[in-house]
Amino acid sequence: MKKKIGLLLAMLAALVMMVGVFGNPTSAQAADSSLAKIQKKGVLVMGTSPDYPPYEFQATVKGKSAVVGMDVKIGEKVAKDLGVKLKIKSMSFDSLLVALQTGKVDMIISGMNPTPARRKNVDFTHTYYKGGYEIVINKTDKGKYKNKDSFGGGTLGAQTGTTQYNAAKKQTKNTKVKGMTSQSDLILALQSHKLDGVAMEKPSAEAYVSNNKQLAAIPSNFSMSSSATSSAIAFRKGSTSLVNKVNQTVDQIKKENLVKKDYLPAAGKYLKTNTVNTSMGHYWKAFLTGIEYTLIITVCSVFFGFIIGVLLALARLGKGNFLKSLLRWIATAYVEFIRGTPMMVQVMFVYFGLGLFVNLPALTSGIIAISLNSGAYVAEYIRGGINSVDIGQTEAARSLGMSNGETMRFVVLPQALKNIWPSLGNEFITLIKDSSIVSIIGVTELIYQSNIVRSDTYRGVAPIVVIMVLYFILTFTASRILNYFERKMQHA
Amino acid sequence: MPKPVIEVEKLAKSFGDNAVLKDITEQVNPGQVIVVIGPSGGGKSTFLRCLNLLETPTSGKVAFEGHDLTTMDTKSVNSLREKMGMVFQGFNLFPNMTVLENIKLAPMKVKHADDASATKQAHELLQRVGLDDHADAFPDSLSGGQAQRVAIARALAMNPEVMLFDEPTSALDPEMVGEVLNVMQELAKDGMTMVVVTHEMGFAKSVGDRIWFMADGYIQENSTPEKFFANPETDRAKDFLSKILM
Repeated sequence: MKKKIGLLLAMLAALVMMVGVFGNPTSAQAADSSLAKIQKKGVLVMGTSPDYPPYEFQATVKGKSAVVGMDVKIGEKVAKDLGVKLKIKSMSFDSLLVALQTGKVDMIISGMNPTPARRKNVDFTHTYYKGGYEIVINKTDKGKYKNKDSFGGGTLGAQTGTTQYNAAKKQTKNTKVKGMTSQSDLILALQSHKLDGVAMEKPSAEAYVSNNKQLAAIPSNFSMSSSATSSAIAFRKGSTSLVNKVNQTVDQIKKENLVKKDYLPAAGKYLKTNTVNTSMGHYWKAFLTGIEYTLIITVCSVFFGFIIGVLLALARLGKGNFLKSLLRWIATAYVEFIRGTPMMVQVMFVYFGLGLFVNLPALTSGIIAISLNSGAYVAEYIRGGINSVDIGQTEAARSLGMSNGETMRFVVLPQALKNIWPSLGNEFITLIKDSSIVSIIGVTELIYQSNIVRSDTYRGVAPIVVIMVLYFILTFTASRILNYFERKMQHA
Repeated sequence: MPKPVIEVEKLAKSFGDNAVLKDITEQVNPGQVIVVIGPSGGGKSTFLRCLNLLETPTSGKVAFEGHDLTTMDTKSVNSLREKMGMVFQGFNLFPNMTVLENIKLAPMKVKHADDASATKQAHELLQRVGLDDHADAFPDSLSGGQAQRVAIARALAMNPEVMLFDEPTSALDPEMVGEVLNVMQELAKDGMTMVVVTHEMGFAKSVGDRIWFMADGYIQENSTPEKFFANPETDRAKDFLSKILM
């Protein structure tokens, strides 16, 4: 089972829902119209986290990257039975519940277990698939381990915050349990003998074993309740009419055993074609897309961040009447707040929080969040830069009849900029790297793409090396360009 | 009697509890060279900076050509500042611009002069201060005397009617004082109205029309150089002169 919602996200969700009291006051009324609304819209947006083969994963279909897997098949069937089109939105598993609650997606099909805790916040359909747990081990250890009880003195791995992680902790003795966020990292740790076994869901275990000849799977023998081992489709709370309708589809899938007969083998096919060629060169298009989005985010954020930074710096330096004092106070508060909260939370807040009022695409949200964040830091550099320019420069300009604004623009700012250029350059290079944070809301920049490639190829290290090199090329080129301008500014 | 260019009435300026200027009423007539001398901390620089409102007076009136600057809106003050060129002790040249660009900046940005005429004027001014061969140099490659002459040329580029000098030679090595004073003397000869704060008594004697002796926030004596240096009236002035003329 996949990650439970993290504490951070839970708090954000709570905040978003508090805002939601004002944004969406009529969720009770929406109950009866939920089905009609979707049918009227004609599109059903499915949220999923495509890093979890064979449930859902990224594969190359006819030369294009697409989300495939058994959950996608189920989504297609649900949409077809409702008579609407299916649209798939990818994001991290952690973000799915918030996305559902804030209307970014209409439903979640992502191997999600209908646990009592989740039931408090969303409505689930009947379960469409019941899995189980296995433990993946190195094939060389095959005789050594039988089930969860054979790892005494050793180390088991599992995805952090998942049911199998809790089960491994509670239901084993003398065994260390190590949590990691990504399954491909766990497999990598297993193969480098940092772990002796990895507990995971049966279909995932089978997918790994069938695609990696050095691995084997053994039964886990965890004792589990059925809500912890089965998957269901999640809808917004109060969507009774919609859930009832979709339950007919789910019941049919179960009755005809479509998952085992049809959907899993179809997903397996993509897995097979996928692992034929796992060289990094084969994925050059994925990495190119990553570079493209990383650059788009960075360039836009540098541009807007700089403008925001200049405005904030000027506001913070304002003195005099009430309006200027108020602006200064607001700017100071803004800078302190932004610097005092993690960028990751800001990105999520812009995407999900503002999403209640305006439907912003993930890329736009990411650019807005990073620009706002960078602006706060740039503002401080610029303020320092302006203060570093001798007051005599201002006096000379004013004595020549230049206005306050002209003095700032033609005399002070150019000198301030020259003084802070190295710091600004640092900020820009940091932005190239920090842009990776928007991967959590599903923007296909370098980190996101590398995660896709990793779960696609079951290769843990190679994609990391590739993006490390790519990031370095980007930052090194950027720093060369910045140095060129620095030299140009320092003539004498 | 010509109309005064600058009139100061009951001018006072305090920084917190520190009253630097107490009660000053004087006027500057066209073509006059006023030399303000006095002990350090007597308020000379503050007085000069009040004339173009780089410092805002605490009370009193500063009028330029009959217009009271202290009651004007910012925009009008800006346009009146054009007519009062100022030269600072520390030159305050813009270090990121060449000598030529330093001179052209204000005419082009404030008066919207076109590049060609601003360049032509800048070269003329540089010839006048004897530095046309340094037009493309940056300020940090100039000697102090050269930098101050460029600063004078920069102030003249706005065609001011009055020039204010705030201890223009105090930051210079002794051998460079002469070249700056010569330029100022030429300016005076051409009829420029000037208010000069300086410690150069030779300049005060030979170029000044009036000496304003300033101490303790007041102008203690206003007289001709001949009279002031030969026969000062106040004890304060006598004491000052006895110290510097030793």
